[in-house]
Amino acid sequence: MIRLLKCEFLKTRRRYIFLSLLAVTAIGLFWTLNGRVSEDMRRLGWMIYLYQLPVTNSIVMPLLAMIAASRQWDLEHRSGMLRRLIPASGRGKLYDVKLLTGLGAVLVCCLINWAVIVIYGHAKGFYGPFPLRLYMLHLLSTLLPTAAVYLLQSLLSMAFKNQAAAFAVGIAGTFAGMFSMFLPQLPWLRRFLIWGGYGALNLVGMYGYTKETRWRDVWFEVSGPDPYAVIFLLCAGLTIYFFGKRLFCLKEV
Amino acid sequence: MNIVETHGLTKRYGGAEAVSGLNMEVSEGRIYGFLGPNGAGKSTTLKMLLTLVRPTAGEIDIFGKRLGPRTRTEILRDTGSLIESPSCYGHLTGRENLEILRTMLDLPKSNIDEVLKTVRLDKQQKKKVSAYSLGMKQRLGLAEALISFPKLLILDEPTNGLDPAGIQEMRELIRSLPGRYGMTVIVSSHILSEMDRLADDVGIIAGGRMVYQGPLDRLHRAEKDKDLEEIFLELTGGEASL
Repeated sequence: MIRLLKCEFLKTRRRYIFLSLLAVTAIGLFWTLNGRVSEDMRRLGWMIYLYQLPVTNSIVMPLLAMIAASRQWDLEHRSGMLRRLIPASGRGKLYDVKLLTGLGAVLVCCLINWAVIVIYGHAKGFYGPFPLRLYMLHLLSTLLPTAAVYLLQSLLSMAFKNQAAAFAVGIAGTFAGMFSMFLPQLPWLRRFLIWGGYGALNLVGMYGYTKETRWRDVWFEVSGPDPYAVIFLLCAGLTIYFFGKRLFCLKEV
Repeated sequence: MNIVETHGLTKRYGGAEAVSGLNMEVSEGRIYGFLGPNGAGKSTTLKMLLTLVRPTAGEIDIFGKRLGPRTRTEILRDTGSLIESPSCYGHLTGRENLEILRTMLDLPKSNIDEVLKTVRLDKQQKKKVSAYSLGMKQRLGLAEALISFPKLLILDEPTNGLDPAGIQEMRELIRSLPGRYGMTVIVSSHILSEMDRLADDVGIIAGGRMVYQGPLDRLHRAEKDKDLEEIFLELTGGEASL
């Protein structure tokens, strides 16, 4: 397994896959953190970010998953190296290692994204104690849907040589996931759509915001993640993983 | 001793049989020429030997062991292959491509230098594969197949895209492998004159069925006044394209 992991890193030399993921993370962070920090922002900053981050995450994280999976599998499709690698190693292990490296890279980017926001909040002097427990839960709420989306993107990128198919599904899913957050009358859409997981696992609700008073009377309530969404994402992730592995093991090269 | 034996090997795609009840026997230390018109089932058969394609029916024995989920890794560790076009990562150098297989198979570093010398790519090893000519890619593909100095080498149309000098060079190289490394070689080709000069034994496949299998000289003895091309056309019905 260690040898196969080493091979995955050797393959991606000069392909700058991780660098492109870091670039997307940086753009996402710039989008999230760009703007003036007002007094209201300092007062409510920690909670405002907890409330708003799922929206930006629902776009940036699926994009990271899509890029990582597509670039990893495109490498194999273009080179035809699966014909050499499968007899040399074995299909199941090859699939696992590919997922492990891709998922690892995507999750590291999630972690960087999270860490930069925490550092930013401290640097800008957000009021009140840092809500560590909530931010740890938020990190998990980001990692879980991202992992499920990556597994699906990886399956699609493996199954179809033309990466347009995986991109089409990824873009459609991302839009559906993002818009599901603006449709509170359709909670099932967030709950049973893997891209909707970012909204379904949102930890806080915001109340009291009006055009006139803006942030003055705003308060937040911690609601906790939707347990049905957690169960759904875990089941969907595992199902996609086993289905993808089986498909790869049966794939004729 | 037979290094490869297939028993009733069959592959169906939908209703069409690409390979039909194939019984192949490849003896140790020999060069087995696998001949057949386009679409006869040569590549499908070779892919089944490498577990790249799943047989619909039949069994495969390699090195005296039945090829199955439990034995496949052990068997295929001792098998090198070059199937269809050469497989390599274009963004890496020739040496880096070999390094991946060396790492995967846990082989000594000296194997890379040796195979690069064998296929005469040692001076081009630091060049990116995307800048290689087709002939150089083909030689790199052969180096990949040879990297573990396997007991069994499976080559599917290895002279594809090579110029006459390259074909001659490749033929001499393949010809030297059984004596130099004790390898058994299965090589498929549709260039019959090449096979005539290269193979010890031949298997001729047409419409997914084996129509002749045995030593090449026995075939020539039986059909004294005919060359391999005439014999081939007679055995395959003469209508199939090459």
